[in-house]
Amino acid sequence: MRISFNWLRRYVGFTSTSEDAAQIITSAGLEVEKIEPLGKHLDRFVVGEVIAAEKHPNADKLTVCQVRVEGDSFNALQIVCGAPNVREGQKVAVGLVGATVPRNQHDANGKPFVLTKVKLRGVESNGMICSEYELGIGDDAQGILVLDGNAVVGTTLARHLGLDDTVFEIGVTPNRPDCLNHIGVARELAAATGAQLIFPEEINRAEAREEISQHLTVSVKNTADCPRYSAVMISDVRIGPSPSWLQNFLKAVGVRPINNVVDVTNFVMYELGQPLHAFDYQRIAGKKIVVQNATKGQRFITLDGKEHKLSENMLMICDAEKAVAVAGVMGGLNSEISEKTTSIVLESAYFSPTSIRRTSKQLGLSTDASQRFERGIDPNGTVIAVRRAAALIAEFAGGKILAGVIDIYPKEISAREILLRISRTNKILGTDLNAADIEKYLSSIAIQVKMESTSAADSIFVCTVPTFRPDLLEEIDLIEEVARLHGYNNIEDKMVSAIDFRNMHVTIAPVADAARSWFEANGFHETISNSMIDATTAEIFSPHTVRILNPLSNEMSVMRPSLLPSMLQNIFFNQNHGTKDLRLFEIGKIYEQRGANGGNDPVPGFHEEERLGICISGKKQLRTWYNEDRIVDIFDIKGIVESLFLKILLDKIRFIYYDSSSSLTVQTIGIEINGTYSGYLGKVSSTLLQRFQIENDVYVAEINLASIKEQGRSFKQFFQLSKFPSVLRDLAFLVPKKIFVHDIETEIFKSGGSLLKQVTLFDVYEGKNLPENVKSVAFSLHFVPEEKTLTDSEIDAATTKIAEAIGLKFGAELRRM
Amino acid sequence: MTALKYPLASEIAALMKAAETRSAEVHSVDDLEKFRVEFLARKGGIAELFDKLKAVPNDQKPVLGKELNKLRSHVESLFEAMHHRLNSQSKKEEEIPDLTLPGRALPVGTLHPITQTLNDIAAIFTSMGFAVANGPEIEDDYHNFEALNFPPDHPARDMQDTFFISEKVLLRTHTSPVQIRVMEHQQPPIRVIMPGRVYRNEAISARSLSQFHQVEGLYVDRNVTFSELKGTLVAFAKEFYGSNIKYKFRPSFFPFTEPSLEMDITCFICSGKGCPMCKRTGWLEILGAGMVHPNVFRKVGYDSESVTGFAFGMGIERTTVLRHGIPDLRMLLENDVKFLEQF
Repeated sequence: MRISFNWLRRYVGFTSTSEDAAQIITSAGLEVEKIEPLGKHLDRFVVGEVIAAEKHPNADKLTVCQVRVEGDSFNALQIVCGAPNVREGQKVAVGLVGATVPRNQHDANGKPFVLTKVKLRGVESNGMICSEYELGIGDDAQGILVLDGNAVVGTTLARHLGLDDTVFEIGVTPNRPDCLNHIGVARELAAATGAQLIFPEEINRAEAREEISQHLTVSVKNTADCPRYSAVMISDVRIGPSPSWLQNFLKAVGVRPINNVVDVTNFVMYELGQPLHAFDYQRIAGKKIVVQNATKGQRFITLDGKEHKLSENMLMICDAEKAVAVAGVMGGLNSEISEKTTSIVLESAYFSPTSIRRTSKQLGLSTDASQRFERGIDPNGTVIAVRRAAALIAEFAGGKILAGVIDIYPKEISAREILLRISRTNKILGTDLNAADIEKYLSSIAIQVKMESTSAADSIFVCTVPTFRPDLLEEIDLIEEVARLHGYNNIEDKMVSAIDFRNMHVTIAPVADAARSWFEANGFHETISNSMIDATTAEIFSPHTVRILNPLSNEMSVMRPSLLPSMLQNIFFNQNHGTKDLRLFEIGKIYEQRGANGGNDPVPGFHEEERLGICISGKKQLRTWYNEDRIVDIFDIKGIVESLFLKILLDKIRFIYYDSSSSLTVQTIGIEINGTYSGYLGKVSSTLLQRFQIENDVYVAEINLASIKEQGRSFKQFFQLSKFPSVLRDLAFLVPKKIFVHDIETEIFKSGGSLLKQVTLFDVYEGKNLPENVKSVAFSLHFVPEEKTLTDSEIDAATTKIAEAIGLKFGAELRRM
Repeated sequence: MTALKYPLASEIAALMKAAETRSAEVHSVDDLEKFRVEFLARKGGIAELFDKLKAVPNDQKPVLGKELNKLRSHVESLFEAMHHRLNSQSKKEEEIPDLTLPGRALPVGTLHPITQTLNDIAAIFTSMGFAVANGPEIEDDYHNFEALNFPPDHPARDMQDTFFISEKVLLRTHTSPVQIRVMEHQQPPIRVIMPGRVYRNEAISARSLSQFHQVEGLYVDRNVTFSELKGTLVAFAKEFYGSNIKYKFRPSFFPFTEPSLEMDITCFICSGKGCPMCKRTGWLEILGAGMVHPNVFRKVGYDSESVTGFAFGMGIERTTVLRHGIPDLRMLLENDVKFLEQF
């Protein structure tokens, strides 16, 4: 919403600067988002008078002018001018040296330029007499702009042209339709400063003898959607341009001037908030206006020349034969004011906000009028506004206002009464306001306040809320008004309550937090990726994807069913930006559609799960002076998962070694936590890498964090340290290649007895000196005695037992070390 | 009757003097070894004198023995000192590595700047006694709009602003629905913050994203006031942005709070002088808040007469780009390692 500071000042006795006004308005809840000084581009342009004009001695087309730009003629500036229409005695627009001319008419793009002192064919020139085009206020570039003879020499051009205004761009919140006009904003400024609101005087224009009722009848068929319809008529108007002050006002608030009738309707809307519509009376068939719903499939062409298909819930303004306007949204091309118009009907109505909102949305047509109607205008302001508009039109376009106003208003909408308790006000705000304060604040915004009852305990006001404030519905709304007018910044900043732990449920996220710090400490970068991905990719990962009905683009049309696509996208992005050695992790949600009955998802049918994703690619370590580089492999990602689980206090984890690989990953290992499948790790398949255009191998893990959380908080338990020396023994076996190390390890533990605490694989060897299909695996066994020092023979017995068991189970042969 | 009467006494004194003299001539490990052999070895000078002690009359033995022990310990300490000196000398002669070689690096990781901001905000509010609650991102119309007092035809409920999954299911547009879910499951007093990811149907640009994060706060009890809301927000802002900030509150509008406010602080980029970040106003808007609307309490079945409460919400991305001076919001979702490793 654009508000002219010059006009604002007319409605409030406000003498301070525009910056002050902006600050006060902002503090009242009407945020001034931008302050735009309008005449700024005309800095250093003034009104001048050509006191002498002589032909240039060396150029036919140039004139050497003496231009008076201040009171004294002795200080006249010599300016060389190339325009054919420059004459002695003219008042002209002069750009002084240093001024930036907004448009250069000798430049194809009209680029601005700065005026300097120059010599033109040997004659000095100290400025420039400008054309409309050069000033950026019109398109005429043929000759200089000749100003009105009354223009005062030395005045800034901005002031002379009425462009020395400041415009506030105000972000009006949806609850304040009353502030979508100058009077509304003025009311707030007046209330905040204690100044008087100056309502525009009603201009009394003599009315013609003829009654409007002789020429026009109005019937409203749908009073629910059109509770009030007022109209006046003006005959014998001459359509033409509006006076320049009115055009300047409209330009300032961002409306294109059209003609003296339409401009007045717009002016009154921006002044009082009432949208008005002018019809060409000659084009209203049957001297009749009917407000009724459209018929289904009816077609209608609006003012902007677009044809719309209507539906029966849309309210239309019709004459005896046809529709002439979409009520409250836009007029029709068939009844538009034209140069030939001589009589007009001015409509000033109150339409139901819901009806207008629906129509505007269905037609995809939003106008200044519809925006005001759908937020709610003042139902009791229609007549005042239409009379003001009629008087102004009569003034600018001549014409006679017909006697009387047609006003169809079957059921008056009266002011709402709301009770306000002083105690409640102070209880909500934490203030100590008294009755007098509250009364003062509310009456400053036209709320009538009457004491209903008062007792030692409380005083209660009956507040009558004007109909231009549809947002004030109940007590809390009035409390906000009190707070606003008292000033939010005048309410003390308290922290009263002591911290109260009653009934507090602290949810700690130990798993995610512990994981994050572990990853950070181990050189991983955390990523946060978009949850919305493209449908084709999503379907590779799950058949039960959650689709967005109205996506921004195909690339973001489905909620990710896995973290893997996000991670691969990140790898791809980094690869293309020159980083190929990556260690990334992400903690985020995945989304899937589920049967509405199953599970305890907050929104039935939609499952969200927090997951941890890890991906590594490229070199594990860069080549340094102390290390060779090495490309990551499956055992890197496996080691990451193992170490992470140690860190986050989780030991009930089991790896599942699949026989086959999926289309997504190869070398896949399943992860089971507490007996529940909770994720996987593996090498990304080459098909998937190709799909994401990734060059290097990528290893990933994806784990459901919920299944870790379900374990609850667990604390590692202390165990007694042994007082006796522990014993290390190494054993190596020759086993068939196909035997899994994990199985051998399990068997060693099984046969090793209770003193065997740890088994570490320290060597795997295949090849030279060994038969084909045989590998050598070597373990370091760690025996920890509990009650006494172990003897060699005890250890020998234990290892022999292990060797026998392994031999028996896997056909393994003990290798001499 | 002094020990000096006996020849052994003068021999001890002579040997002491000889040892002193000889020690000054020790310059190498070889010299030191010669010194040791001469005085301290099994057949060295001192051992020889101990042998002679055996022949001394008994009444003289204690005195001379004491002298001899003194001699031995003195010569030993001479030896130790020389040994130490030579040892450190010889170490200096060892080859010193090029100490300017880079150290063996440990990997350095980073948390995403959004996580860092979220953690900092959460730390402040949890220290004030706020618990942390979470809610679904795929939300129903009731929790996202209706229970929060959005009228049925509110523009935010439009397809233009919200991503829909079905007619009544959508991607939450703010973290406020978690307020409703918390109040549905719990009676006051309630004091929670609710961080999370939200979605808006907005074109992606340097200044706006279609997916971002918010932190919501809710405090409901018997006597929660607007004044205390302000106090809490000021305490937070001073902790998070620095105790020297200036701040102001402006009336605003949210359907689910009344009175509603927005809080501005002095721009911490330019200290209030005006810069592009604060659009030359010197102020930055940091959050929206207000007293919970009675209609919201009615929806969750609370008695809106007896309980009052406040709620607040702030965007994490905006705070993050402001405090790190990041010029483009989109960088936060690109996950470029060269970007991430800066924070």
